[in-house]
Amino acid sequence: MIKVTKAPELDDVTRAALASGRAEPALGFFLDVLMEMRGISESDGAAIAGAALEAEAPASMKPDALAMAFAAIDRGAARAPAARPLTYPELATLPAALRDAIEAAEAHRGWSYAGPGIKRLDLGVSGAAKAEIIRLEAGTAVPWHTHKGQELTLCIHGEFSDGHDTYGPGDFSAFEGSVRHQPRAHDTGTAYALAVTDAGLRFEGVLGALQKLFKQ
Amino acid sequence: MVAERQDRAAYSELFAYYAPRVKSYLMRLGADSALAEEIAQDVMVTVWRKAALFDRNQASVSTWIFRVARNRRIDVFRRAKRPDLDPEETMLLPSGVEAPDARIEAMETEARVRAAMKDLPEEQVSLLRLAFYEGLSHSEIAGKLDLPLGTVKSRIRLAFSKMKGRLEDD
Repeated sequence: MIKVTKAPELDDVTRAALASGRAEPALGFFLDVLMEMRGISESDGAAIAGAALEAEAPASMKPDALAMAFAAIDRGAARAPAARPLTYPELATLPAALRDAIEAAEAHRGWSYAGPGIKRLDLGVSGAAKAEIIRLEAGTAVPWHTHKGQELTLCIHGEFSDGHDTYGPGDFSAFEGSVRHQPRAHDTGTAYALAVTDAGLRFEGVLGALQKLFKQ
Repeated sequence: MVAERQDRAAYSELFAYYAPRVKSYLMRLGADSALAEEIAQDVMVTVWRKAALFDRNQASVSTWIFRVARNRRIDVFRRAKRPDLDPEETMLLPSGVEAPDARIEAMETEARVRAAMKDLPEEQVSLLRLAFYEGLSHSEIAGKLDLPLGTVKSRIRLAFSKMKGRLEDD
């Protein structure tokens, strides 16, 4: 188990995997949110890709491509439901990308019951790894659990402890599946975590690098 | 009404510049012309819808659109067997706001990365492009360029650290 409070310093392989999208999407999302909550800019890898896109030789689009885009935009505007407030207003101040993912997930799936005082929201990220928001009411604990793969848990609101350490917004833990842990929200209020599990498949490269880097 | 017309005019210019480049990017990664065109369309529609999430202080338009395209590509390629992909469900959008320090830093990085890429030898720029833009692993790059794996690793590390070195110079 590692609890992390320091900014990541990623190597070139990890940066390339994140910038190009080679990394598992849920993991890339987790890192984006983490960096943003810490106010860390991890922009040089992305800037290389942005500059490469600019330098790309343009491929010709169909003559009516722009008209079709405007038609899709108008169709979308016509059937888009009025902006709905988030189910839990305390999440409105989260980083924009995370808030947007929560909004989309609420519109498509909604929160599900996961035990007394516990709710979860699957963010529907593509790929093998799963990303979800766990909501723990004050004083509630997730049952002690282990899982098949590795699990990354980022505190996004409130505070919780997991039997190993205490986490506030921007702190995260990385567990091997075999390690028993039990996040419990503090009595002071509801806590929310972004949890990413790799289902025992493949976080190897990026997560391995992260763990190496974060061991202080 | 006027504001709306102006938005559409600005968007048309953006579309003319980026849609063909996004299409090239997707074809480079193996999409055929029809699929690349379709995804490029989707990406540009998302750019309109999510324009509010774009922060020009945080990244250049190119970097932001690249990230939208990259995420869309991941979604579509991975869900290739699900033709009914809902365009509203674009996940993994690039981040929006950052702390003020990080914003300035990000803009400086954008400018300096571009300058550094002009100074680096073409061979090194192309290695960075393969790794950071096309998402090839070191061993895939070694295969493509017919170079030993160790050579690819050390050249990419060198190119990246030259760029970082320049970033940290001033």
